[in-house]
Amino acid sequence: MKTNSLIRIKFGRIFFPVFPAAAALLFGLAVPPTLAGAEVFTVALTGKYPPFSFYSPAGELVGFDVDISRAIAGRLGRESEFVTTEWDGILAGLLAGKYDAIIGSMAVTPERAKKVIFSRPYYLSGAQLFIHRKDRDKIKTIADCRGRNIGVGLGETYEHFLRENYPGINTVSYKGTVDTFQDMLNRRLAGFVTDRLVGLYQVNQGEMPFVPAGPLLYQEKMAIPVTRENTVLAGEIDEALKSLQEDGTLAEIREKWFGAAARETARGSAIPPRTAAEMLLKGFGITLLVAFTSILLGFILSVPGGWILNNHPPLLYHLVRSFNDFIRGTPLLIQLFFVYFGAPQLGLVLSPIQAAIFTLTVNTSAYMAEVVRSGLMAVGPGQRKAGIALGLSPFQVFRFVVWPQAFRIALPPLMNTVVALIKDTALIAMISVGEVIREAQSIISVTYDPMKYYFIVAAMFFLVTFPLMKLAGKIEKNIRARGFTNA
Amino acid sequence: MLEINNLSFSYPDGSRALEDINMTLPREHILAVLGESGSGKTTLLMCIGRFLQPRRGSIAIDGEDISGIEHREFRRRIGIVFQQLYLFPHLTVLENMMLAPEKVLRQPKKEARRESLDTIGRLGIGELGDKYPSQISGGQAQRAAIARALVLKPSYLLLDEPTSALDLNTTREFGRWLVELKETTTFVIVTHDVPFAEKTAGSGFLMADGRLRSVGTLPEILKAIDHHSF
Repeated sequence: MKTNSLIRIKFGRIFFPVFPAAAALLFGLAVPPTLAGAEVFTVALTGKYPPFSFYSPAGELVGFDVDISRAIAGRLGRESEFVTTEWDGILAGLLAGKYDAIIGSMAVTPERAKKVIFSRPYYLSGAQLFIHRKDRDKIKTIADCRGRNIGVGLGETYEHFLRENYPGINTVSYKGTVDTFQDMLNRRLAGFVTDRLVGLYQVNQGEMPFVPAGPLLYQEKMAIPVTRENTVLAGEIDEALKSLQEDGTLAEIREKWFGAAARETARGSAIPPRTAAEMLLKGFGITLLVAFTSILLGFILSVPGGWILNNHPPLLYHLVRSFNDFIRGTPLLIQLFFVYFGAPQLGLVLSPIQAAIFTLTVNTSAYMAEVVRSGLMAVGPGQRKAGIALGLSPFQVFRFVVWPQAFRIALPPLMNTVVALIKDTALIAMISVGEVIREAQSIISVTYDPMKYYFIVAAMFFLVTFPLMKLAGKIEKNIRARGFTNA
Repeated sequence: MLEINNLSFSYPDGSRALEDINMTLPREHILAVLGESGSGKTTLLMCIGRFLQPRRGSIAIDGEDISGIEHREFRRRIGIVFQQLYLFPHLTVLENMMLAPEKVLRQPKKEARRESLDTIGRLGIGELGDKYPSQISGGQAQRAAIARALVLKPSYLLLDEPTSALDLNTTREFGRWLVELKETTTFVIVTHDVPFAEKTAGSGFLMADGRLRSVGTLPEILKAIDHHSF
């Protein structure tokens, strides 16, 4: 994502210069800054950081930071205007004059303070320990967690912080909040550490029986940076914040997003069953599309592959043999990552679905080729001789005599491979394919109800795989009835 | 006419299976190749059928060396039925028979079907056309395999131990209809079943230790067998 791709959202005023915006989109350049003293107060934030700034289901930019920005703009007597931009370029955009200020939960650090002027903090947050409500008497502070499991988000700074400062604690990293919450409910974790406000919001939204314990492990002051030249604006923002605090507006906004009222908001945003069903069905459609495309392509590849493995043509045999052994001897997940992340380095940028189909095709063709090989092996050499004796060409012998028999013999184990592959598609969620498990996880991230949705997904898979397994059994019986084994 | 000149064959391990065979197999007869197990008679059949490559010597059909004949043309002139028959288990008797006419002779399906039905009718298994090989008896399978070879109308049909899987009655019956078919096709029967050869074949060859021991009419061959205390 380009850091300078700006999305401008205009509030209040309809008149907005369209041409500079279009030019900005065309050339990827900045729109000339709306300077201090003008009527618009331009604020940057990411729009991806609930509950601070995010898009509501209706597509509106909402959140704690958004409300703070509006309140400040009100005190400044200006219209607020928002620029959503990527976090890693947000400070550079401010220094380049693309917006007046950043109101995006930016913590004050010495490095940042060298480049910008920070306002007074508009809220305090930091690393907070959360525990189960039932443990309130047992765990007063982080020190009571010595020797116990504490959950942290994978890749978050809290993990590093805990290891450095509390080596006696066993940190367990989780991919997402839902997983952390589930293990809190299962009592595998004594607690978890996350940003205090983010944690409060998520606990509220999930209606979880968790509470903060002890003081902040370390504190962060969130403030509003403006450029060093903008001393006037810096003063005005400080004044505005001061009056917002004094008249209780700050507390009101805080209560709206983090207080008891937030719980109501969370309930309102639950996913209706119809939407959930649509998401799951759409995801399952993608699952089946990827699975059956890969099965078809993999099977087509497995026929020459199996032939080569059975007939030992020089060189080709060793190539296919080594390749198949490698594919069958390494985890499918690693193969997926290898194709998805590795292929672009070779100049081949595959979409997640393309990468998934490619990987699953190659993977399943390796397994299928072994099945095809054993099927071909089971057809005796006499059958080939009889075909030759009748004047059939070697290809015709394969096509009309050997292959039809090998295929019938190979069908039951092939079906097992098909069933295994359909289940293996679960892994492609790891490379962002919007298949059914990923859709389920996105529902769960809102509803905090993993067991229900994982069960539904399992049932969906079973509905497809069970008839296939039954079919395999039927074919096997049929083949045995025809006495194929003495071919 | 099938002519074999100075034919020798040895297996990859060096053991000699055929040594300097010279024989002439005329058309329009039932010819028996007799000999003990290991005498080299099946090896000889496989050399004539181009499934084994002779080390030395030549085989010619109607004056033409068989090694130079195109595959399909060769198979139309010399048919072979293996001891184990090798019917195709995934195809019915009729489909077994129609495969070569359709794919090799490129006959239309209707014509191939008509001729196949005609052939199994003559062999007395007309009602078995829609059966799979696993559903018919050993004697019926024997006929089906011969029928499958006959639809290509070969000049010579090589049969390897055709009576090995048949009981006495079936063997007798088999001999009878073989005699009826000899007008169109020359049967070369490799067998160690002396009574069967005596009843069906006009003349024959006796092999022992990879060599041709005796050539002549069946009574002459039988004498030679007595001489070899066979």
